[in-house]
Amino acid sequence: MNDSPQRRADSRLPIAVAIAAVLSLAACASTPPPPTASLTGARTAIGDAEKAGAGRYAAAELGEARQKLTDANSAVEEKDMPRAQRLAEQSHVEADLASANTAEAKAVAVNAEMVHSNDTLNQEIQREPGSQPGSQP
Amino acid sequence: MNRIFVNVPTRSRTLIGAAVASLLLAACATGPVKPSGADEARAKLTQLQSNPDLATRAPVAMKEAELAVRVAEEPEADPALGQYRVYMADRKVDIATARAKTAFAEDQRAGLSQQRDQARLDARTREADASTSKLATTRVALADATQQSADLQRQSADLQRQLDELNAKPTDRGLVLTLGDVLFATGRSDLKVGATAKLNQLVTFLNNYPTRTVAIEGYTDNVGSDDYNLGLSQRRADSVKSYLTVQGIASTRLSADGRGESSPVAENDSAAGRQQNRRVEVIISSPPSAAR
Repeated sequence: MNDSPQRRADSRLPIAVAIAAVLSLAACASTPPPPTASLTGARTAIGDAEKAGAGRYAAAELGEARQKLTDANSAVEEKDMPRAQRLAEQSHVEADLASANTAEAKAVAVNAEMVHSNDTLNQEIQREPGSQPGSQP
Repeated sequence: MNRIFVNVPTRSRTLIGAAVASLLLAACATGPVKPSGADEARAKLTQLQSNPDLATRAPVAMKEAELAVRVAEEPEADPALGQYRVYMADRKVDIATARAKTAFAEDQRAGLSQQRDQARLDARTREADASTSKLATTRVALADATQQSADLQRQSADLQRQLDELNAKPTDRGLVLTLGDVLFATGRSDLKVGATAKLNQLVTFLNNYPTRTVAIEGYTDNVGSDDYNLGLSQRRADSVKSYLTVQGIASTRLSADGRGESSPVAENDSAAGRQQNRRVEVIISSPPSAAR
């Protein structure tokens, strides 16, 4: 091994340290960007659920979706972007659940109404005077 | 590190090695683990997948749920991330369940609406049956009415025929049947034997028309005193009345009056005229609703 390259490396070291320091300072100064797409997605999903009538059929799920979105926005304020991202995704999935539960409740209600009206119709037929005895019930 | 081991005795070195090993083990125990709640999410998904009514009804949501559960089940060192994944998996399973139930309800609807159509069809069939039977009833009623009308016409014709046989004349007092003096011998009030043919026709008529009443009036010619003629005409009217009563006509339907020589129908100055005046008139009342 030669002495002169060793000495040259030593002289370069302070420069490298300075560059690293500047880079790390820059990293500290710039906060990561907020999860805009996830927040927008959650907001849209909540709007869809509201339009579908989740306020009436899935109020608990809709309430939780809204709360998660509020929490996500708080996390953005606190510059905790990973947490904001997760809360936004949770808000989104909760709003989707509110929509799905609303659709289910409506479908079940429609069926119940049909069953009821069929029953009523059948009862009317049974009661109708002049109905032929011995025909189907 | 090597420097530390160099400076300590061999026994101590063994102790330190054990301590380091136990530290490493402890690190392993608090390292990546399956997040709590992942098993519950898996159980919920398995329940959904094994429900024959729901398993195949929401394939997209079901695939997403399966994927999310698999991610949640992966060992994770960061508890917050693990709980986030469990949360997502749980909700995705719930969404798949709700979508499957919605699809199931929609599929049932076809059957329900078929039932409703059947019920409506039944109702219409019954309505039609009821109308048909109503129509049949109406036809029977119409036939009855036609029959009744025919009966009435026949009765009316019968009446006319019988009145014609009695030779009754319609007048403003009713139908007047004039019985000539051939019923009685001169000065007598008992009916001649064999003079009852016309009276029997009257009996038949009154039996056929039980609502009709009869006024019997006796008249004479002007031969003899008024008193005598009045008495004679009364007795003759009574005689006709009693004959009708004996034949079964209720006496309440009959009245008898002697009118003497009043109301002659012809001149009394000829034998023929006097014969016409010696008579009994039977006035048959018209029924309340005259069926002439």
